[in-house]
Amino acid sequence: MTLEVIAFTLAGLLAAGGAVAVLFVREAMRLMIGLGSFLLGVAGLFLYFGLPFLATAQVFVYVGGVLVLMVFAVMVVHRQADDRPVMEVRHDVGAAAVALAVTVTIVACLRSVVGDALPTPGVYSGVLADELLGPKLLVFEMAGALLLTGLVAVLTIREGEDR
Amino acid sequence: MVALVLCASLFGAGLYVVMTRREIIGLLTGVEMMLGAANVQLVMLGAAVGGTGATIEAAGLMVLVVAAAEAAVGLALLLALYRRSGRSRTDELNEVNG
Amino acid sequence: MTLLLGMGWGALGVLVIAVGAIFGVWWERKVSARIQMRLGPQQIGPAGSLQMIADVPKLLFREDIIPARADRTLFKLAPLIVFAPIAIAMVVIPFTSGWAPMDMSVGVLFFLAVPSIESIALLISAWASHNTLSTLGGLRGAAQLISYEVPRSLSVLPLVLLAGSLRPLDIAQRWEWWWFPLTLVAFVVFFIASLAEMNRGPFDMPEDESELVAGYFADYSGMRWAIFMMAEYGAMIVASLFAATTFLGGGWPLSGAAGTVLMVVKAVALVTVIMWVKWTLPRVRPDQLMSFCWKILTPLALIQLVVVGVVLIWL
Repeated sequence: MTLEVIAFTLAGLLAAGGAVAVLFVREAMRLMIGLGSFLLGVAGLFLYFGLPFLATAQVFVYVGGVLVLMVFAVMVVHRQADDRPVMEVRHDVGAAAVALAVTVTIVACLRSVVGDALPTPGVYSGVLADELLGPKLLVFEMAGALLLTGLVAVLTIREGEDR
Repeated sequence: MVALVLCASLFGAGLYVVMTRREIIGLLTGVEMMLGAANVQLVMLGAAVGGTGATIEAAGLMVLVVAAAEAAVGLALLLALYRRSGRSRTDELNEVNG
Repeated sequence: MTLLLGMGWGALGVLVIAVGAIFGVWWERKVSARIQMRLGPQQIGPAGSLQMIADVPKLLFREDIIPARADRTLFKLAPLIVFAPIAIAMVVIPFTSGWAPMDMSVGVLFFLAVPSIESIALLISAWASHNTLSTLGGLRGAAQLISYEVPRSLSVLPLVLLAGSLRPLDIAQRWEWWWFPLTLVAFVVFFIASLAEMNRGPFDMPEDESELVAGYFADYSGMRWAIFMMAEYGAMIVASLFAATTFLGGGWPLSGAAGTVLMVVKAVALVTVIMWVKWTLPRVRPDQLMSFCWKILTPLALIQLVVVGVVLIWL
């Protein structure tokens, strides 16, 4: 058991544990903790594949931003009443079959591209800035425009509520 | 292979969450899970098809940005809907005019 | 690989913060006492320095009260989630001019990103207490935290521009003395934003002692409260260490072991200023808080960034 295998296993367990929690818990805040664990596991996987910038961006944007927004929404919508509201999960065999079919399809289609062994951990290349400000400049600027559009959209929705 | 199975099953779990949960928060959670699993898969396969480290990272970053913006707008819509109708479950939100 | 090494160093960081909190509490009591024209703890140990060792058994023997309607699992988990990001953030600080516990190539971004988990921890601890005052304190606190992340992150960027790298070791090694007057505005913005990030000083609205009865951690007693306090002192120490190594240049005139001592002295000076500010200035109102962040700090940080970007051509 090399250290790399342990690192991948830890990140994978974090992500899988979060996913299992999201599948089965019936309370809103535990759902958020499960999602938080999942997002941290994804960040760990990015780190394993040798992309530390993407991993820290994932923590910054998702765990520190999107998850906070979702917890705010939970606190507003699922207000603590006297009897704690319980979310229902309609476990459904048909849905499970569909999800399993999608999973198997993905694995079957991509198995030839990926090897059999564990993917080797990457080495950081460090020229992200050259890439983003050079060949991919248009994509970078469009991402900024998208974020600005999202901000304006949220403000518009918020303003529309007050009427 | 193990990583591929892991990412695909995380994607499938997200799909299952979207199909079985009624609350809009649950739907948004499932969508975020699907996007996260797809992002990891994109990054993992990038090296296999011969992308350089920077291109893979830029692609993953763009997916991250789009997913975060979509989550923010989705949550704003959820809050607006809740303020207007007091309901947050998809089976209760079935009337067009309040 | 880096993941596991980082976890090991994080565990060591917990120990450093625990020791630092003991001296931090003593130092705070002395500083606040002098500001209030009294003397502070004097009896246990030389100049009252071992006072905390007398306080710890008191905290341990306190009755561990968990409110009846609180969510027990979340209630017990919340202090740990509050404490963990700070210990983790400490591992990227370059303690001498050639060594950081974890030499990450994106260390500065890591240092800025990890405390953003604090906002989740704060919301969970507020939710777990299941009472109105805690929820209010938690919502205010989280809004404050996520707003002040923006000027805090923007103010570190001029240094990254000057050093040309996100590695804290690179910033520490390439630091020149004239960087300090150049990035002075950024240093002040970072200092103020860090104060707000740790719910400290004039920005301690979420733990309003006079209004909300300690807000989001009102229901935590004994050792659970002690963990919240250790998190606060740990955040002070970590932010001061980071500012001392990057903005103030680490052990600048000296080098080697003497340089490390000088860096610690600078960090202690910054911690003293933080305590001084807390006990001197009145609390900021919630509306003043948000307008201060978005209308004053963020534009200042952006202007500083533009200034450094323009000056960079002539360097």
